[in-house]
Order: sequence, then C-alpha cells, then structure tokens
Amino acid sequence: MGISDQKDSLPKARAMTATQKMFARACNRDWVTPGEVVYPNPELLIIHDGFVETAYKELSGLGYGRITSPEKVVFVTDHEVSYSTPRAVERGRNIRSIANAWDVEQFFDVGRGGQGHIFPIESGLVRPGMFLMCYDMHCTNFGAVGALAMAVGPEVTSVLATGTIWTEVPHTVSIRLKGQLPKGSHPRDVGFMLAHGFATGRWNLKHDYRVIEFGGPGLAGLQLSDRVALCNSVTEMGVANVLFNGPPPGISVDGAPDFLSDPDATYEATIDFDLCDIQPQLALPGGPDRAASVVDHVGRPVNHAVIGSCGSGMYQDFVDAAEMMRGRRVADGVRMFVVPGTPATAKRLANEGISQVFIDAGAMILPSGCGPCAGGNMGPLGPGEVSIATAATNHSGRFGAKEAEIYLGSPLTVAASALSGCLADPRQSLSQ
Amino acid sequence: MLQSLKKTGRCHVFGDSIPLDEGVMAFSFAIGRITDPAVLIPHLFEGIDPSFASRVKPGDFVVAGQDFCCGKPHFQGFIAMAALNMGVLCGSMPRTSLRGAISNGLPVLTGWSPESLPIADGDEIEVDMETGMIRNITQKTSASVDPMPLILQDIIRHGGVGGQLKVWLDQHPQLQLQPGAAPVLQQDIPIKWMKGSAS
Repeated sequence: MGISDQKDSLPKARAMTATQKMFARACNRDWVTPGEVVYPNPELLIIHDGFVETAYKELSGLGYGRITSPEKVVFVTDHEVSYSTPRAVERGRNIRSIANAWDVEQFFDVGRGGQGHIFPIESGLVRPGMFLMCYDMHCTNFGAVGALAMAVGPEVTSVLATGTIWTEVPHTVSIRLKGQLPKGSHPRDVGFMLAHGFATGRWNLKHDYRVIEFGGPGLAGLQLSDRVALCNSVTEMGVANVLFNGPPPGISVDGAPDFLSDPDATYEATIDFDLCDIQPQLALPGGPDRAASVVDHVGRPVNHAVIGSCGSGMYQDFVDAAEMMRGRRVADGVRMFVVPGTPATAKRLANEGISQVFIDAGAMILPSGCGPCAGGNMGPLGPGEVSIATAATNHSGRFGAKEAEIYLGSPLTVAASALSGCLADPRQSLSQ
Repeated sequence: MLQSLKKTGRCHVFGDSIPLDEGVMAFSFAIGRITDPAVLIPHLFEGIDPSFASRVKPGDFVVAGQDFCCGKPHFQGFIAMAALNMGVLCGSMPRTSLRGAISNGLPVLTGWSPESLPIADGDEIEVDMETGMIRNITQKTSASVDPMPLILQDIIRHGGVGGQLKVWLDQHPQLQLQPGAAPVLQQDIPIKWMKGSAS
C-alpha cells in the first residue's frame, strides 16, 4: 500500500538520505526504509498558542492530568501576541496555567521568543541533525538548519500523552540547484515556481509527503534567510519536509550528528533547476502553488502590504526591503506592516537604523510573531481589499476577510508594491 | 478491542481525486467544527452523490481510485464513516488524510486498482486488512495488495487514537488527573477531537 512495517534486518552500511539518518536515530536504529511506519522519539515538541488549550481540553477529557515528557515540550505564543479581544487575554492566561500544570518550562510567552518557526533557528533551540515534532505544518523552516521537524497537527495530543506518534518515513526528491539568482529575484520566487511545477505535473512527480532536498552548486549562494524562504514557500503543497544537502550558513555544526545525505543515497527522483532563469513571481490568491510572473500582474492596486511571518521574517529579509525603501514613501492608501520575526531581530533592526527606514517610509512595525498571517489577529484585511505579503500562505480568509485577495511575493516585491501602490516588479524599483 | 480486521460489506464505488471538502463532506461542517456523527452521517458524499446517505448501511465499503480524500485535511467525513463502521479500499490517499482516517478509527487499505480487481457498485467484498487479501464475493474474484502496517492495525483495533490513549493512561497511572485538583482552565472551551488543518 506504499507504506509498510519496520524492517530491521537490512545492512547497516547502506547509503542513506539525511531523512533516513535522522529517522533512524530517532528510532534508535541503524536503518529505516522510506515508506515504513515507525514510532520515532522527537527531541522537542513545539506547540503554538492556537492549540494549547484544545490539547489540554482533549487530554484532560480523557483523564490526563500530566504529560509524558514535559522537558521536551515547548510552548510558543506567536499567533496572537498583542491581545485584541477579552478572549485572547483569557487564552493567554489559560496557556500559562496549562504550562504550570504540565510542568512545561520551555514556555515562550508573548514578547519572549517571537515567531515559533524563526526564533528556534536564531537561538539554537533547534540544531542541525535534530529530529523534532511540531503542531504547525510550517515547521519545515527548521530544514534550513538541517533539522527534521515533522508536523503532526491536531494529533500533537498523542505526542504529549505518549511522547511519540506513528509516522511514515517519507521518500526524498532531490532538487539540484545550479547558477545564481538574477538581481531582483529571490528564493521565494523559486519556491513558488517549484510549488507550481509540482502541482501542475511539470516533472510528473509525486510531492505528497515527500521530503524535498535541495543540493547542487546553486546551494552555495543561499543565505540562511534564503533557505527559510525556500522551505516556507513550498510547504503548503503538502510536502513532508524540506532539507538542504550542505552545512547551514552561519550555524555551528560542531558536535552535530550527521545531517547530510550520503553521496550514493537513493532518491525517489532528481530534478535539475537553474536559478539563472528565475524571474520575480507572485503566488496568486488561493495558494502558494499558484505562481505567476510579476510582470503579468503589474498595476493591480493594493491596500495592504506585509513583510514578515514565518516565510520571510529574518534580519536579512528586512535589510533587503529597507535598502529599496530608504528615502521613499509608501503610497497613499496602502497600509504597510513590518513584522520582525523575533525580538532579537527587532532590536537589531532598531539599533542599526533599519526600523527608522520603514517608519520614515510610513510603514508600521508590529510585535514579533505571525503578524496578519494568523487569521488577521493583527493588521487584518477588509472585504474587497488586496494585500501583497511574504506570508506563509494566501488562502481565503487568511488575513481576516474571506472576500479579500492576498498575493504572495518576496520581500523585494512587497516593498516595491507598497511604494508604488500596486503590484510592482522589484527590478524597476532596484534600478531607480 | 477489535480482534479481526477482516471486514465484509457492500461497496459504494467512486472515481479518482475525490476531495474531502465538498466531495466527502461539505466544508461548512469542518468550519463549523461539527463532530457529532449523528449530524454528519446524513451529509456523507452529499456533494457528489445526494442519495448516498439514504443507501449506505453500517459496515459498507467505500471503494475509490487514486488520491482519495485529497485537499485540505478536514476530517468530518472520517468521523461519519468510522461511526458507520465502514471500511475504505482505494488506489491511494494523501498521507495527511490517511493519518486522519486511521486516527479516527477508519480502516483504510490502499493499492487497489479496478484493473487488478473489478468492483461494481453494490458488490459485496471481503477485505482482510492483516493480509491485504480482497475477495469480490459477488463476482467470485480476488486479488491482494500490501497489508495494513502492523502499527496501523493496532490503532484500528483500538478504535482510533482516542482508544489507544485511554489504554496508555491505564498503563501509566502517574499521568492521571488527580481527583479534586484545582481547575486549570478559566472557561469551558468547546473542543472537538480532530480539528482541521494545522496552520
């Protein structure tokens, strides 16, 4: 049936993908086979504020008063950080009570950690070679540092109760990058094109529950924030994870267990992808796989622009956008939000005068977290409005009103569009 | 706890790429967080077969092609099918959907194709999840696919993850809620067992 039972009797020296290695370690075994079902033990379990109460309610309803490994559990408050309703205040209070009742000490409350798929990378909480589980599907970001984070969704309650959950070892598709991105293009543009290519059968490959592993000479030109953007922009099409077959830039790998694929590892498929050909893209409203060239949509008026979220909320994302916006003004009628992923990034942007560039341009800086992308808890969209954002996804209602349109783009495309008041090609702004 | 994973039932046959939303169950039930099987069952497959609910009997099978239950992982349809003690035989199912089905206690066997074993609407079949053997009793034919992995068989025997968690708690009494413990939550928050997608 495509998935199968554990196979313990295979040779130890066979070449493995990074995914197999991290699964094998988590299962305390020498080898795992893609397709087999296992019970891996995660080093961490990360849950955000949107699900802590529900998890508690479900488990206490079954009679649970405690959880199996509280020392591995991390609570992150990033979806609703500046409480705008009495219910949000109450939720915050409940989450603190639950952390206390369950002895969860790794609790990153409002104003502490920041966005839950960014601060663990920046702080070193998630490290190369780590196998972890998370409630939220956008945990694929951790592939940027060489960690394998499996999203378990609502079944996080099982992991809280027992410390593990049944998991199929995914197959891996290798994408060999070559060349360098042209000026004005960005890894998010690559991600949208790849998502579109997979969704429309460009390579006639299955992507459901596959690990996408980037390798090849093109990897060398990608910074850590580029990797995060790439992980994030292909996630919603249903991949199991995203990894990179090379050491993470700027992250220490001292003492890290092996997190790279063997040269002769077996992939389900291999694709070659040339970065030199990439033009700035948009994801049209409806999903990150709905990629289209920016040039085909230039001129569509926008009301709302966002740089941040788990998609592009790292220091370099803001530096790139600020470089374009320095000395310019956001167009009248556009409200622009800048959401630094973490308080540490917010502080650095302030110290280096980068926040000043955004404020001078007329943009607003929101507290660290998910920003409008968590259902429009902050800076929402109204009916009939149009947004351009670096968000993780753009399904109907993601920023509030269902009758609004959300276009996704790179930080450069968002900045260029905010300045011009309509969807804009960032290459035009960069050349001015 | 179920001892045998061999099921016999009448088939309702569908094609490829039946989506969860609007195919298996209207999205309005997912967004409404409806989890009561009694409410959900009359709306099973309503979008593509309005008379399904009037024909389906407890223990029936849904037979479908490739990519059954594609789209956003909203599991209301699985809750309804599990409550009807149904089984699913299909070509393939997206992994997130398979997880939702198994966790809700709905047995699913993939790898079937109409070429390997023709099955018509109304046929009676017998499916052994442990061996992968499928018999079309009506047409007197048979074929086999890979069996359900042992780990998943165990979950199905427990009636889904909820049943497994009750057993785990019995085996780990130190995790039990202490009688008389002070309430942790400030308000009674409505819950449901399997909420839609994690985002």
